[in-house]
Amino acid sequence: MLGFIFNRVLQSIIVIWAVYTCTFWLLMAAPGDPFVGEKNPSPQVIRELQVRYDLDKPLYYAYAKYAWNVVRHGDLGPTISYPDWTVAQVISGTLPVSVALGALALLLALWMGIAAGMIGARFHGGGLDLGLSVATLLGISLPNFVIGSALLMIFSVDLTWLPSGGWGTFNQLILPAFTLALPFTAYIARLMRSSALDVRRADFVRTARAKGAGEARIEMRHILANASIPILAYLGPAMAGILTGSFVVEKIFAVPGMGDLFINACLDKDIPVVLGTTLVYTVLLVILNLLADIACAWADPRIRLQ
Amino acid sequence: MKRTLLLPSVLLIVIAAVAFRISQPAGQTIQPIVFCNTGQVHTMDPQQMTWIQDIDTALGLWEGLCQYDPHTMQPIPGTALSWDISPDQLTYTFHLRHDARWSNGDPVTSADFMFAWRRILQPATASEYVNMLFHLSGARDYYNALAAGKSASFSSVGAKAPDPWTIVVHLAQPCSYFLGLTAFPPYFPLNQKAMQPFMQHDGEGTITYDPLWTHPPNLVSNGAYQLVDWKFHQYLDLTPNPFYWDHKNVHCARIQIVSKDPNIAFLAYHTGVIDVLSFVPPDFTYQLLQQQEQGQRDDIHYVPVFGTYFYYFNCRHKPLNDPRVREALDLAVDKQKIVQDVLRLPDKPLNVLVPPNMISGYQSPAGLSMNVALARQLLAQAGYPDGHNFPTLTFLTNSEATAAPHARIAQAIQAMWKSELNVNINIEQMESKVFRQETLNGNYDVASGDWYGDYLDPTTWLDLFRSENPNNIARFSNTQFDSLMLRSDGQIDPAARMATLNQAETVLVQEQLPAMPLFQMSDGLIYDPEKIGGIDPNIRFLTLFKYMHWIN
Repeated sequence: MLGFIFNRVLQSIIVIWAVYTCTFWLLMAAPGDPFVGEKNPSPQVIRELQVRYDLDKPLYYAYAKYAWNVVRHGDLGPTISYPDWTVAQVISGTLPVSVALGALALLLALWMGIAAGMIGARFHGGGLDLGLSVATLLGISLPNFVIGSALLMIFSVDLTWLPSGGWGTFNQLILPAFTLALPFTAYIARLMRSSALDVRRADFVRTARAKGAGEARIEMRHILANASIPILAYLGPAMAGILTGSFVVEKIFAVPGMGDLFINACLDKDIPVVLGTTLVYTVLLVILNLLADIACAWADPRIRLQ
Repeated sequence: MKRTLLLPSVLLIVIAAVAFRISQPAGQTIQPIVFCNTGQVHTMDPQQMTWIQDIDTALGLWEGLCQYDPHTMQPIPGTALSWDISPDQLTYTFHLRHDARWSNGDPVTSADFMFAWRRILQPATASEYVNMLFHLSGARDYYNALAAGKSASFSSVGAKAPDPWTIVVHLAQPCSYFLGLTAFPPYFPLNQKAMQPFMQHDGEGTITYDPLWTHPPNLVSNGAYQLVDWKFHQYLDLTPNPFYWDHKNVHCARIQIVSKDPNIAFLAYHTGVIDVLSFVPPDFTYQLLQQQEQGQRDDIHYVPVFGTYFYYFNCRHKPLNDPRVREALDLAVDKQKIVQDVLRLPDKPLNVLVPPNMISGYQSPAGLSMNVALARQLLAQAGYPDGHNFPTLTFLTNSEATAAPHARIAQAIQAMWKSELNVNINIEQMESKVFRQETLNGNYDVASGDWYGDYLDPTTWLDLFRSENPNNIARFSNTQFDSLMLRSDGQIDPAARMATLNQAETVLVQEQLPAMPLFQMSDGLIYDPEKIGGIDPNIRFLTLFKYMHWIN
């Protein structure tokens, strides 16, 4: 197990370095000057700004210095568009928002998906199963902005049950979390359904029935427990998808999260913010995937034994 | 079951709860006026700001020597109670009021202004508006010397503080709008004592300040409001400055500044979450104005502003280096039609660059009116009869529709030039930053442009076309225009100066056409006039928070 973790950590470091390198050089190659704005500052001012952000020196210098500052001091540098804030402050202000939204969405996706999958498998081939299959297909195919806008129209504009966006109260969380959760719910439901169908036919389920175990006990203890292992393996990629996929939802519901910050930073050519957010995303994803792998190994003795 | 699903679920619940708690705004008891912009506030350092949402906020937090009259936007006494101007218009003596106080209770003195002006003139401050300070005699030389790494003394700059309540300013040249500038953020005072703890030396004598100095509670300001909370990407909270000399006339107990996407903000306004929108959502401006006209609503406050929309011609590129070609292109465009059918807004079509009737004493030239026959004739004279051999022009525009629907306007003009002159253009849309860089580097033939004036004077537009201006996007250089501008610089008599500027603009809009005027922009606020008072939509499109209040 330890060797397995050590290996994965080593791989992760290489992944993070590769992402940093690609992001840095792509940003430098992208057209557009971060310092050219509404009022076109004088060349002198632009020169001073370039000095401030180390962009007056050769690019490899900035490349190395930024990496060194991050590794040695944990310093993600100053921002360009928001001169009063450092990248670290900007991220610590917006990341909790995205994480709260993402965690809630994943929780919803997990339980709604498992429930739908179990029901589908239980009533395999019936009307309920068909209905759920159609619903999950829709959930996977419809993009976030369609679902989000529809929910917004129904629950916020027409029924006025829920606020249209913003951040601060639990009510404001419901619509964005639900919208964000839907495609993942659908995917989990399909995964769960096929997995539960497989398990249902397994020998140990037949044995349990033969022993005279109750139907509820068979569903929960034998089928659900064993069928949900593939779901656990999916949690890592799902978290990745939810974190990086949240910016559309953040935009629709005016959630002040990191996705919105990231998009604006790209448009503004705010190099340090793009680098910083990309690095934080990468580290998060790498850690989440690592955790998901470890969780799988821990939940499934067969993986542990290998 | 327990193993596989319970633990991840519990973990997710805990993560969601903790992250939500961290990111939640602080609880408040006073109902604020929620004021919504389309863009985030970028900085609260008055010497770094260029965005209107930052400037709006700064005008609520600070007060310069002058402040703006809420109706006319003309300068009126602010921190300075009065001033004397020498007959040659070069020396201003400001007398500060003795009861002006910072939000920490300190008196506002002339030293605070000297400290601030000295700081903005340091190249390391990298202020984009530093050129506004170059009106002070010696300021430009002082700045350039420092930028070149030479030593220079601030005493060479024409700003002196003989005593704590007097400031004497020497100008390099007469400047009829100087008082207005002193009401604008680059001229605001700063509290040195509050900034001291954040000072940073780089070892080579350069002094900068840790940006934390602008974060509450560190920020000390001298205006009607003080900044009490700033949650990044979420909101800024302003409460009245209890030490402000005019405190008794500040009537709103709390203002919250937020920013949202226009359509979402509009929804939030309708559900009562937002009280004032500093914009009209561009997607429904037309419908909203229609509703207003039919008496269905009275909350759209839409006014013409001090900004114009025009097209730059690259005066260095063939065939646009020929003024006849530029004139022909201008004459062939039906500007009325653009405004009526493309914009569908009550904006005014223009044949001049400086918005007319907004600057007192300035008479706009007539400009050119549409004349297709003359346009064809000019094009033929330039060697392109009926558009023969005329190369296809590259037209650049911004893909982010902020001021106007750039692409739709461009398509309409493309059609007009094609049908009237047989001239073809290729429309290329690019994101804002790329667009600005390409136009600044001259990689275009025709480009969309918009400009909002920074002060009530024609030069805020006309300077765009001076040969020596590094930001002369049109790459325009004309000796007649340059010498008129130079002459106006030294003219003391306001009427004579305005007459010279009129001649200069005449050169631009009737003879040379480095840019083709299209229309004057309008902008609006949305708020219920029965609920909120003290907002006076003005041509500068600045909202003075000092006067904003609930009506009850």
